[in-house]
Amino acid sequence: MGVLEGVLLGALALVLVRLFVGPTAWDRLVAANSASARVVLLISLAAVASDSAALLDIAVVYAALSFLGTVIFARTLERSGGRR
Amino acid sequence: MTAWVLMGIGAFLVVVGTIGVLRFRDVYSRLQASGVSDTTGAAFILLGLIVHRGLEPRDATLALLLLLLLVTSPIATHSIAKSAFTQRHGPREDE
Repeated sequence: MGVLEGVLLGALALVLVRLFVGPTAWDRLVAANSASARVVLLISLAAVASDSAALLDIAVVYAALSFLGTVIFARTLERSGGRR
Repeated sequence: MTAWVLMGIGAFLVVVGTIGVLRFRDVYSRLQASGVSDTTGAAFILLGLIVHRGLEPRDATLALLLLLLLVTSPIATHSIAKSAFTQRHGPREDE
């Protein structure tokens, strides 16, 4: 189980690099979306490893909330453009 | 054994998607790498976790998470793509 979690953590760190350097707002949004997908996978791995049902519920709620956040950010950018 | 093969395929897809998000030039190319490989990678890893635990009634939550990710991830990807397309390239030519 340790190798898979290490690979996912490395992927999360590399995606966060794109989140920080991404030129446009949509690049950052793509990076945030895929970072939250990796976080959901990490939470569910930890839930299965520690055999706790509460962590699985947390993973479901995290997935739903990150989907909502991504869609709301995309709709807001669609109206206002990515300009600061 | 089957569980480890499934989780290995999922981890490979996640790594490929990460490389794509880092290395591609365009928003749409990055969206392609992120969207496709994240959806399938998460599906493979969650399937591997379900197989790894063996089928119990408690695994309904994992199946629910798998279903939720399979539904919401393409919708989020499409929403980002639509937002970038309408802001950068203006309205479509055929409207």
